[in-house]
Amino acid sequence: MPAFVVRRLARLLVVIVGVSLVTFAILHASGDPVALIMPEAPEADRAVLRQTLGLHDPLPVQFARFVGRALTGNFGNSFFHRTPAFPLVIERMPTTLLLTALSMTLALAVALPVGIYSAVKRGRAMDQLATGTVFLGQSMPVFWTGIMLILLFSVQWRLLPVSGWDSWAAVLLPTVTLSTFTAPLLLRIVRSSMLDVIGLDYVRTARAKGVSEWLVIGRHALKNAALPLVTVTGLQFGLLLGGAVITETVFAVPGVGRLIVGAIRQLDFPVVQAGVFMLAMIVVSVNFAIDLLYVYLNPQIRVR
Amino acid sequence: MRPWSLPLLALVLVLALAPGADAQPKDTLTIALPSHAPTLDPHMHFERVGVLVNINMFDSLLHRNAKLEYEPSLATSWKALNETTWEFKLRKGVKFHNGDPLTAEDVKFSFERVTEPGKEKKKSPQYGNIRAVKEVRIVDPETIHIITDKPFPLLLERLVFFNIVPKKHTENVGDDAFGSSAPVGTGPWKFVEWKRDQYIRLEAFDGYWRGKPPFKYLVVRAIPEVATQIAEIKTGGVDLIRSVSADIMPELKVHPQTYVSSAPILRVHQIELDMRYPPFDKKLVRQAANYAIDKQSIIQKLMGGLGTQVATNVQPAAFGFDPDVKPYPYDPKKAKELLAQAGYPSGVDVTLHSGDVATRAYFEAMAQMLTEVGIRVNARMWDPGPAWNKLYQTDGKATNGVYVTWGNYSVFDADAVLHPLFHSEVGGWIGKHYTRVEGLDKLIDEGRSTLNKEQRKRTYSQIQRMIREEAPAVFLFTQYDTLAISKRVEYAARGDEWLWLFDAKPKR
Repeated sequence: MPAFVVRRLARLLVVIVGVSLVTFAILHASGDPVALIMPEAPEADRAVLRQTLGLHDPLPVQFARFVGRALTGNFGNSFFHRTPAFPLVIERMPTTLLLTALSMTLALAVALPVGIYSAVKRGRAMDQLATGTVFLGQSMPVFWTGIMLILLFSVQWRLLPVSGWDSWAAVLLPTVTLSTFTAPLLLRIVRSSMLDVIGLDYVRTARAKGVSEWLVIGRHALKNAALPLVTVTGLQFGLLLGGAVITETVFAVPGVGRLIVGAIRQLDFPVVQAGVFMLAMIVVSVNFAIDLLYVYLNPQIRVR
Repeated sequence: MRPWSLPLLALVLVLALAPGADAQPKDTLTIALPSHAPTLDPHMHFERVGVLVNINMFDSLLHRNAKLEYEPSLATSWKALNETTWEFKLRKGVKFHNGDPLTAEDVKFSFERVTEPGKEKKKSPQYGNIRAVKEVRIVDPETIHIITDKPFPLLLERLVFFNIVPKKHTENVGDDAFGSSAPVGTGPWKFVEWKRDQYIRLEAFDGYWRGKPPFKYLVVRAIPEVATQIAEIKTGGVDLIRSVSADIMPELKVHPQTYVSSAPILRVHQIELDMRYPPFDKKLVRQAANYAIDKQSIIQKLMGGLGTQVATNVQPAAFGFDPDVKPYPYDPKKAKELLAQAGYPSGVDVTLHSGDVATRAYFEAMAQMLTEVGIRVNARMWDPGPAWNKLYQTDGKATNGVYVTWGNYSVFDADAVLHPLFHSEVGGWIGKHYTRVEGLDKLIDEGRSTLNKEQRKRTYSQIQRMIREEAPAVFLFTQYDTLAISKRVEYAARGDEWLWLFDAKPKR
């Protein structure tokens, strides 16, 4: 068991370093932040600023310095905010996590019952409706869904605030938007894995013994169908964080995603690096947790 | 029991209980900006979104009114004593939000915070605006002298948005707290609360020397997405949004909750041409490009009529504008002839770039027009960041020209566009990379080195005639800025794009 954990942790580290390296490379290929910070300044002033920001060194040196500092949680000062980048990210983290967690919960709350029902009543009107909705849901880009929901619920029916993050009512639309991004896929997984097990002998046996339908589905079938669902939920978490970037921008939610989008526009390297690092950390940690959960759900995995 | 009925029921309940789109309290004015500046300290950023907030909390020595004329503010009068010394008389009885009286010390302190005499590295990004200020001398408690290192005709323009902060308070709380939680000015609204990326909340200052502002509260929300801003103004979540584009304008014009207000602004559009490399090293080709573009139809069809053709990029509203210099007419036949004369009878291939998403449609239309006369354009769009790198930092071999819009930093003077765009000295912006016009540098220097208005006007006339003829750029048009405003608020767009909300009044 410890060997297993160590192996997963090592893999986690490789991913984090890889993500940082890619972010670093893309950022430095994308332009000169100094020209953006002081467009009208004489070259001499720019040289001074470049020196201050450490942008005059060769890229490998900059990357080494970046890694060295990142290990201590120091990502340097934001070019734009002129304060340390990492706290800017940490400050906004709870908002993004809350949005993501709420969306995941909502997605599961819809996907589980509807998926199970669809599987049990396969081919009925309800199943067809659900399958159709899945197609629809997966085809809609998040920003479009968000704006459509705003138009309906806020502009047309005046039920909810358009944007912001200062009341529970304001939280509702971004949460729904983001969950439409992931709920369809989860629903499909629930339905298909339920279908896989529902016809198996042990389920029939349970029924034959006279176990109530609730128990058959809820305990016997669902527990065995859960493994793929757990996998996908973990993977979807990363996608959700990606979706949060867009959702936060549409709904003016003060989260990490919006911070990163702004920072990319301003070529604010430290903030982008700190933000992407944090998001990568979360995705990797969630996947790590899922790996551990597997072991609990399916002891066979412990073997390899 | 149907499994989906429970979540559905919950949703219906939440919707029923939700407060709904917020009707705002009558005494609150809420505006939307795409983002907040990194600090509320007026000296430690140079972001328009920040300036728009700061000017409603802080005063400057001079004010510019809605007609774009100078008006006394913290200074009641001013005059140039000689080419490099200006005298300002300070207003008596002005109080800061914390009750401290305004003194000459505060004014001197404010300048020195930015100029930091004797220091090598300046921390304020606004240093460039007032770097000409060598010294601020207190003559008596009501009089100060500003001494510049050389004649600096733009001083008053710069002072209009140079805010005055309280010395004692700023030193007490420190720069960081001053910019985040304790900004104090003399302006119409004082600070209440700042929720980053959400809203800045301000409250009317009872002791304001101009009198109380008509709205008790001013809220500045940060909403990055344009579609969201529009939904907010339609539902009363905000009262004012900026930069409404031509395609959305008709809808907001007739909406029962909103109206629009437009004003011509200082932003001027042009295609800067790289004169160092063929084919734009030839004057005739540059002129051909100017004749090839049907500016009027772009203005009518793509800008909703809200634009004005210009002969050069000196704005009609800027000091030094010469109305006798006329725009290039649209004449594709003439363009073809000039191109042939220049040695390109069968046309020539060029690559033009743009990093400005907002004007993409204009850029593409112009690329087509140029192609039609034989200047075959490969039009490339970039993200603003990479564009910057590509177009202004490299030696220009990859490019023949770039579409840019220039906002003049709200300075109503010909120098504000001529120097960055055409001066070839190291400090220049595009000019140093692209422009090579014999004698132009010298004239631009001449224009900025005297306070004599007549002499400056003559110089700028000469420059305008020269650049119209030499065509270092394809000169296009100026644009308007359009605000959408809630019908419960009375306000009008300004030519400097400022939101001076002391002028905003509740309707009815």
